[in-house]
Amino acid sequence: MLHMVEPFDPAEEREVLRRMFVARKEVFVDLLGWDVPVLDERYEVDQFDDEHAVYLVVAGRDGSHLASARLLPTTRPHILADLYGDLCEEDVPRGPDIYEVTRFCLDRRIDAAARRDARDKLIGALAGFGAANDINRYTGVADMGWFQQILAFGWRCRPLGLPRMIDGQMLVALAIEIDEETPRLLAEAGIRTGQPNAEGVSHAA
Amino acid sequence: MLRTRVAIEEFTRSVGAANDNQDLSCLLDEMTRRMGFTRFALTHHSQKPAIRLSTYPDDWIAYFDRNRYGMSDPIHRATYRTGAGFRWGRISDFIELTPEDDQMLELARRHDLADGFTIPFNVVGEPHGSCSFVVGAGRTIANDVLPLAQLVGIAAFEGARRIQAKQRCRSGHLPRLTDRQRDCLIWTARGKTAWEISRILGISQETVVLHLKQALERYGVRKRTILLILALFDGTISFADIFGRSYTHFWE
Repeated sequence: MLHMVEPFDPAEEREVLRRMFVARKEVFVDLLGWDVPVLDERYEVDQFDDEHAVYLVVAGRDGSHLASARLLPTTRPHILADLYGDLCEEDVPRGPDIYEVTRFCLDRRIDAAARRDARDKLIGALAGFGAANDINRYTGVADMGWFQQILAFGWRCRPLGLPRMIDGQMLVALAIEIDEETPRLLAEAGIRTGQPNAEGVSHAA
Repeated sequence: MLRTRVAIEEFTRSVGAANDNQDLSCLLDEMTRRMGFTRFALTHHSQKPAIRLSTYPDDWIAYFDRNRYGMSDPIHRATYRTGAGFRWGRISDFIELTPEDDQMLELARRHDLADGFTIPFNVVGEPHGSCSFVVGAGRTIANDVLPLAQLVGIAAFEGARRIQAKQRCRSGHLPRLTDRQRDCLIWTARGKTAWEISRILGISQETVVLHLKQALERYGVRKRTILLILALFDGTISFADIFGRSYTHFWE
């Protein structure tokens, strides 16, 4: 099940969001040791979690968090522009049709197979949400290992500049183009998105 | 120095258009030289790598294969410890070098492989690999070329993956395990007995035994140890699955 949640909406969605912030704390703070703010010792929430952020959440039937990502409009302050602008060799890509993907979070408590399944659904949701909302491009910042995974998902993805060593990690800025071919490219790379328009192809691949 | 943005975009585009390994080798060889290196090796680390492109000396490759260094090569071993590219001079930051390692690196030096920069490659569910750019003795590697080399290595490996996937579609199949067979194998690798696995997965012990038996049959082997090794080599399972370290890479 996929919940697409905008912040500060009615009750059930609020619970999905709450669980997402808990999961983010467990992954980014407890597991990866990122130096990011934690609220109430349980929730990872930063200055970009405001009414402009869009959250894609893959949830279990019982509403439990499986995977999530945060999208930030690039027309406003966001991580690439505000914190990692130097990673772009040219201007930071900005525009109403460009969103930044951040906090791509796979729940710690599920096993490897379920995590991969949730990951694929989330990637499909990114492509689907982009297509449905006239988003032509996603941007983001990734370390080298994750950049390889993102490339291997099969969609059109390219670096925006040379990688740099920042706080002990080699990071790169990247852009992903979203268009009518994206579902087919994902399916060919073996991503089982569960999205209706990719269904036939993904079984064939 | 290269105009980097143009260089990357040109290279990525031509890699995307490369139809086979020969095309890709030529592109990578040219780029290797433009970056000031003399040789490259892009390879999986298994003993019969599905992906391997290289301009290393033939006698070195023969020696390497004869001694089955794919898994024990110190450079390869170091790639398991880091996500980013590293200069060979930094290898002892990642692993402890044995006398055999020192010997091997010295021998490599005599085969015109004196110093290098290696980019680890690890995609979830696939065999581990790397891409190395190398110079002979007496030549130096410019530090400012390394970020570009990092991207070139990643782009080239991605190109090799795509070419391999295309060929695999044409030429048939690898043995594939069902999700359940894979689960049973992973728990076996973690040292659980069939009974314990049956409790963990909530299925009967007989079913666990059957899953493992069928997994053995799919690979055409009789012992679980060799099944495990083969499944690790072809990426059906990864060390991360076994030790639960699958989480290293995230979007910021």
